[in-house]
Amino acid sequence: MNPNEKPQDLIEDILGIEPGSPLAELRRRRPEALKHAQGAYRELLMPDDPGHVSHVDRAALALRAALREGDMALAARFRALLEAASAQEAIMLAEDLSGAPMEGRLAALLRYADVVAARPEAVTQETIDALSAMGLTPRDIVAVTQLVSFVPYQVRVIAGLRAMMQEKAA
Amino acid sequence: MSRFTMEEVGWTPRIPPVDAGTATPAQLAALEACPPAQRRSTYFLTLANDPASLGERGALFNTVMYAPRGLPRADREFSTAIVSMANGCVYCTSVHARRFTDLSKQREAMQRVLDEGHAVETDPRRRAIADFSEKLTLTPGAVTAADLAPLRAVGMDDLEVLDLIHSIAMFANANRLMQSLGESTPPDAA
Repeated sequence: MNPNEKPQDLIEDILGIEPGSPLAELRRRRPEALKHAQGAYRELLMPDDPGHVSHVDRAALALRAALREGDMALAARFRALLEAASAQEAIMLAEDLSGAPMEGRLAALLRYADVVAARPEAVTQETIDALSAMGLTPRDIVAVTQLVSFVPYQVRVIAGLRAMMQEKAA
Repeated sequence: MSRFTMEEVGWTPRIPPVDAGTATPAQLAALEACPPAQRRSTYFLTLANDPASLGERGALFNTVMYAPRGLPRADREFSTAIVSMANGCVYCTSVHARRFTDLSKQREAMQRVLDEGHAVETDPRRRAIADFSEKLTLTPGAVTAADLAPLRAVGMDDLEVLDLIHSIAMFANANRLMQSLGESTPPDAA
């Protein structure tokens, strides 16, 4: 994974929003939202200092969250990050939604991602303490939770913009 | 009685928040990007444990909720209260129901929605906002152009619709952070 790679706007790339199109122009009336959504993506997926949660772990968590949210186009982007890093085992773990018991640190992180993405009300003090017991610091725990909670933001912006594109095409 | 309220609800973090007095320069800089009224709250101090994500995410939150023009602030607050109800976040619901009430002076209408759900909403604009907010929250993959028609029917332009989408999306994020990293404590238990 190349942290210096500067992707164009991820969401416009996924939706095929062309530069200069009405929707692209509309989004540029909220330049801070564009800038900081892209900035959050960068800081969550490929921060300079990832702490105890590697770039591969982060892409795997994002992939899992996108799959739990049912957004295959977004999931494919996170999968591509893992493929670029030759992280086949992480892909396999992240894409296994069977609920079969899996051992290991990444599998435990992915189970946390499942709860945060789909049933955040079910997180308890024990859930968080289990992450600490795995060696995650408060900073790591916030980073993982921010990451898994950011994917649902992307999913809904994509879904809303897709509806606006349909509206304009009609 | 529903579990939702506009009374002050408490929030207790499950990890130690940063101490504002001993915060690192990076943590303080990240907090500066957050809405001024809230940057010393326990919630933001908890998020400050990871300053890199807080700085960007705080700035995103700030522009989504407070950027001028476009969707009126009361509508953004109403929408995020509806999203928070759909996600079961009692704390976020209380905060944004109060902000909506402060901005709109529509306390009774807000209370009725908290007690009975937004199906009882009779104001056409709020009803359109609520229906869209709930659908994009719960079933984003099922949202189509047809779901925008009620928003257009109450006169929303493109920028207002974009602002609404951003507000709804922001609370898919905020509700998950709030519910995962801490626990709501209801007013009667506080």
